[in-house]
Amino acid sequence: MSRQVNRRQLLKLAAASAAALATAGPGQVAAEVAGAGMVCTLLDLAKCVGCEECVNACQEQWQKTVPDPVEPIPKPFPDRVPIEDFSKRKDITDRLTPYNFLYVEHLEFKYKGNDTELHIPRRCMHCLNPPCADLCPFGACRQEANGVVHIASDICMGGAKCRKVCPWHIPQRQSGVGLYLKIMPRYAGNGAMFKCHRCLPLLEQGKKPRCVEVCPEGVQQIGPRREMVAKAVALAKARAKADCGDEGRWREYIYGLTENGGTNTLYVSPIPFKVVNKVLMAEHKKLIKQENAEALAAGRRPERGPHGRPHMGPVGDVMDHVKWVSWLVVAAPVAGLIAGLSARNKTGGSNNER
Amino acid sequence: MSARTLKWIYALAVAAASFSGVGQLPILKRYYITDLPLMGWAANFVTLSTVHYVSVAVLIGLIMWRLASRAKVRWGPLTWWGWGLLGLLAVTGAVKMLRNVGVYFPPPLIVTVNLTHMFSGMAFMFTAIAAGLARVGKS
Repeated sequence: MSRQVNRRQLLKLAAASAAALATAGPGQVAAEVAGAGMVCTLLDLAKCVGCEECVNACQEQWQKTVPDPVEPIPKPFPDRVPIEDFSKRKDITDRLTPYNFLYVEHLEFKYKGNDTELHIPRRCMHCLNPPCADLCPFGACRQEANGVVHIASDICMGGAKCRKVCPWHIPQRQSGVGLYLKIMPRYAGNGAMFKCHRCLPLLEQGKKPRCVEVCPEGVQQIGPRREMVAKAVALAKARAKADCGDEGRWREYIYGLTENGGTNTLYVSPIPFKVVNKVLMAEHKKLIKQENAEALAAGRRPERGPHGRPHMGPVGDVMDHVKWVSWLVVAAPVAGLIAGLSARNKTGGSNNER
Repeated sequence: MSARTLKWIYALAVAAASFSGVGQLPILKRYYITDLPLMGWAANFVTLSTVHYVSVAVLIGLIMWRLASRAKVRWGPLTWWGWGLLGLLAVTGAVKMLRNVGVYFPPPLIVTVNLTHMFSGMAFMFTAIAAGLARVGKS
């Protein structure tokens, strides 16, 4: 991926960014500033035919990097902690698993009276301020300067906190692998977490991620965040105009721009995302019920949560609480200092016992 | 505010900061702590993190008050070891706070900061408990 930009491209980029920012709200402006220097992907869902070339390429490239578990996998204590083992089901491609970082949702539904198909490649959103990386107690889940969020599975203990705090519950656990085996495998940790790293090793060599490179329809584009945001906004406006005749409703046709404070994965759909999510949730509910029944029949414990299938609903900024509460931490020493100096003046500096 | 009240506020803030800090490791639910009556909130990492920040703000305020007022107190660090650990916790905690509001730090630095914060926090907690027990034993 060439990072060289000539002056004309730079001017075009600046103009496009200015136009995008001028039409954006404060949330988007904040997301823009936070994402400076980051690389972003844009997915035009109108182009996706659901061929799953991206899924195959991703599996071919990365599945072998995920280790097989030890046999038998240590039984975690207490019994409520589930063993999560996908090593015998590596061929799964219809959800996220430790061995499958990307899948495609295939939706068929009626929209405005017409039979409609929509195919949605799903993987990690690569948030601007990722709660998985912020709240990982060890720093195994991390964000690079280019915005890629990834997990160093060699130091991950598999506590799955990243999955719990992720608004889409993206990271997936494989029990029986990783560092915890060398410490107290029954009592702390439970494997390692895995998810899309947007082909970081390839990005570092100046190459494109596999899913972007192999797509025959050119569904995905990758580039500097500002450029991708400008393109996504323009595309969403065109989609809004085509669907409802009102360009001003473009926000309904874009996903990932402000969700969780902004992400480096932008989806643009020909159909509003609230409609897409409704269909998606109904589909997920059916699949979860079916999979839980299959798990029980196979003697496995039914899985909790969304079964590696993220939603596309509204998402607030998970790390928003830190913004206000960190002001308290900044104000506290000042308040303590003022109160202390005032107490010292009152007592004339005598070391009275408090 | 009386000396006794300040001492209790300090003790409660240390307890809250320690509990919410340890709770950042995903062990509270695993080991049934969140199943105890009135402890369900501790299963939520965002709530735990908020409690950690608020209790740390109280601690920083108290420590700064102590330093500025030069009051003779019976709470807080009393040795160079205690002050050293507190300093480490403050510096590493500040980096973690900046990371959480979106400031970028290289991942290897974050790993070092996380581990230093965790181990110095544990050392501070155990030292405080030992010092408290020793004081109770003496009296």
